[in-house]
Amino acid sequence: MRSYLALNVQILYWLFVGPFRGRPIRLSAVFQQMIRIGVQAFPMASLTSLSIGITLAMQGANELARMGAAAYVPDLIAMSLLRELGPLLVGVVVIGRSASSITAELGTMKVSEEIEALEVMSINPVRYLVLPRFLAMMIMLPVLTVFGSYVGMAGGWLICHFSLDIETTAYIRRLIESSTPIDLYSGTVKSIVFAWLIVTIACSYGLEARGGAEGVGRSTTNSVVMCILMMLIANAALTALFFVAES
Amino acid sequence: MSEPIIEVRDLVRKFGSRSVLNGISFTVEKGDTLIIMGGSGCGKSTLLRHIIGSLKPTSGSIKIFGREITTMPPKELEQLRLRFGMNFQFGALLQSLTVGENVALPLLENSRVDPSIVDLVVKLKLELVGLTGFEHLKPSEISGGMRKRVGLARAVALDPELLFSDEPTSGLDPIMTAVIDQFTIDLTRKLGMTAVVVTHDMVSAFHIATKMIVLGAGEKQGQIIAMGTPDEIRNSPNAEVQQFINGEPDGPIPLKLAPEDYITRLIGRPHREDL
Repeated sequence: MRSYLALNVQILYWLFVGPFRGRPIRLSAVFQQMIRIGVQAFPMASLTSLSIGITLAMQGANELARMGAAAYVPDLIAMSLLRELGPLLVGVVVIGRSASSITAELGTMKVSEEIEALEVMSINPVRYLVLPRFLAMMIMLPVLTVFGSYVGMAGGWLICHFSLDIETTAYIRRLIESSTPIDLYSGTVKSIVFAWLIVTIACSYGLEARGGAEGVGRSTTNSVVMCILMMLIANAALTALFFVAES
Repeated sequence: MSEPIIEVRDLVRKFGSRSVLNGISFTVEKGDTLIIMGGSGCGKSTLLRHIIGSLKPTSGSIKIFGREITTMPPKELEQLRLRFGMNFQFGALLQSLTVGENVALPLLENSRVDPSIVDLVVKLKLELVGLTGFEHLKPSEISGGMRKRVGLARAVALDPELLFSDEPTSGLDPIMTAVIDQFTIDLTRKLGMTAVVVTHDMVSAFHIATKMIVLGAGEKQGQIIAMGTPDEIRNSPNAEVQQFINGEPDGPIPLKLAPEDYITRLIGRPHREDL
């Protein structure tokens, strides 16, 4: 816990103070990581969101039709995707793809003395390795989340259009009418918090790995479990907070 | 006499109840090549890790360039480390970078060398360790001995005043061993660099050393059992040192235990006839 907090402080130092002391952020590494964490996750995030959009629409149509309210399916899709499922599902995809790979990568570097070598060369591992991953995650997870939510809505459209006979224009209008910017913002705020949690937890487990290949494997498992757990807790807390704030 | 570059006093390091280093004291003067010798697991690499500041001792003092590093804040240690280079036992190259990028790393991160010159310096340093033309390969694509040499090239990339080398010649062929030895000699004798080298290789140790220390094993674990110039070590009256430098299987460090001790170790208690 102490080392986790220390890592957070160090990240903030290298982000806000370091650049003014002649230690610039390595932008090329940031872009490299943005491609690995973000761009390459687009297919998987899209597929997940699309399938959830379709499932939501089917479930919603089934339940709401019984009450004669099938027209409200788009409302259900917009609300649940923007506020809850979008950030959460994309978070899970990114944890599976990137949190595990960040921990495994840093953990392997740790056990093969690469991190020690960096320190001996006076290259701070947090600045050199963690910061690019941190920035990439903080930028790309919200982007993926917004994108994922809209792909999910497209999935909902498939059901609404082909099986509920809702016109495309009516579907889009209903989506816009039912959701407010606050819905989008709350989802985005969530994804920013998730990004912070995921990348700091993944890096901290990686930097603390010890005990060869087995140790790296254990760290990776722990990191993924902890990321998911913390994300769910944060999600519940943030949902409660938004309810309080809005009422 | 000028101030010593490295001064170690009463260094003690315990891992749990086990003392790995037990009251080590020595000094290294400018231009010296200190060889640290001793059997496997006697604490050579641990000693080196303490001197470079990666590990903190349980007690004792380590001064480098006259400054105490055991209590030094990380920021200052980072500054001090710019003045020395470390060649790790297995190279410790960054696997994600090519050989050339690895050597360029300290130059790009810690010096104000123009990027156009970096390429030149990298070629120059790789030439010195006999690895011209390997710049574009990844560390996983070259052999262990080559990785070690890249590690050495990286360690001297910034022309440090002080070079640490952990078993630089183990696993190298005889010609390459001679090349690396000559390289170390050139650095210290011609350029005035100070070197601390951990090695098992007796030929290269006596070839490059100006000063040697031998760490003990068994009861003398973690203590210096002999210290001096190569000639003094060669003529040391200490039987354990003689056994070590001559590579004899039996001696003060026994090949076999006495039968009673052997049984005790096997069954975990002394053997008693009446049972």
